[in-house]
Amino acid sequence: MGGKHKEWMTLMSVFGTVGLHMCSSIFIGVGIGYYLDHKVFDDKTSPWLTLIFLAFGIVAGFKNLYQLSKRKDL
Amino acid sequence: MAHPILFISVILQALGLPVPHTLVGETLLAKLVSPHLTYTWLVMAILIIMPKLTLGKLELVPNGRQNFWEVCVGGLETYMTDQMGPQRAAMMFPMIATFAFYILVANLMGLMPGFMSPTSNLNITLGMTLIVWVTHHILGLKYHGIKYINHFTGPMPALIPLMLPIEIISNLARVLSLSIRLFGNIMAKETLLAILFMLYGAFFGPLPILCLGVLVSVVQTMVFVLLSILYCQGAMEHAH
Repeated sequence: MGGKHKEWMTLMSVFGTVGLHMCSSIFIGVGIGYYLDHKVFDDKTSPWLTLIFLAFGIVAGFKNLYQLSKRKDL
Repeated sequence: MAHPILFISVILQALGLPVPHTLVGETLLAKLVSPHLTYTWLVMAILIIMPKLTLGKLELVPNGRQNFWEVCVGGLETYMTDQMGPQRAAMMFPMIATFAFYILVANLMGLMPGFMSPTSNLNITLGMTLIVWVTHHILGLKYHGIKYINHFTGPMPALIPLMLPIEIISNLARVLSLSIRLFGNIMAKETLLAILFMLYGAFFGPLPILCLGVLVSVVQTMVFVLLSILYCQGAMEHAH
C-alpha cells in the first residue's frame, strides 16, 4: 500500500460516513429530549425539551459538517 | 419469507436444543443457541484454529502461508503506526486487529449458503461499537486527566453552555452511526441475497450481489477499523 492509497482510504472512511453521522446526531438529540420530557419531567415540559434538543441535534450535525469542511490535514 | 437454512442451527436442532426461529430466543438456552451467537463462535473458532494450522513456527524467511499473515497483520500495523505513532499503535493494535479480523471473517462468511453473518444482528455491532466508544473515552481520560473536558467545551469559554450539549450529542451519535452502518450494510446484503436466491437462485440470480457483497464486506470492515482508529487517536490528541 502506498501513501496515497492510505490517504484515500482514510478520506473515504471519514467522508463516506458524513451523512449517517449527521442523521444519527439528530436522532440522538430527539431521543435525549424525548427522554427528558416524558420520563424525567413527567410530561410537564412537553414538547419544549424535545424541540430544544432537536435543535441541538441539528446544530451538532451541521457542526460536524463544518468541522470536516475546515480540516487542513486531510 | 422463507427461512434461510443455517447448518449450525440445523445440527443443533437435531441435537434437541431449542433453536429460536426469531432473532433472539426467550430462555437463556435459546438465547445461547440463537444463530448470530453460534456463528460468532464459529468465527472465533476459525480465527483461533486457522492461524494455528497455517502458522507452524515463525521463520525468518517467510514461506507462502506466513507471507499471507505478515501482509494482513503488517499492513494494518503500518497503517496504525502512520496514524498514531509506533508506541500508541503497539498499545492499540491487539484490540483494533481483533475487530478487523473478526468483522472481516464474519462479513464474508454470510456470502456462503448455509452460513450467516453475525454482524447482521444489531446486538453484535452495538456491542463492538460500545467497546470502541468506552475505550476512546478511557484513553482520553488516561492521556489528559480532567482536562479531557476541553475536548467538549469548544473554542471559547463564553460558548460553553451552547457547545457542551452539542459536543455531547455529536459524540453520542458516534455510537449510533458506527453500529447502524455496519449492521445496515450487512443486513441489507443478507436480505437481498436471501430474496434473490428465493426468486431465481436456479439461474445464478444472486451472483452480481455476491460480487458486490465481497466489496461491501471489505469496505465496511475498513470503515469500522479506520473510524475506531481515528476516534481513539482524536481522544489522545490535544484539544484544538
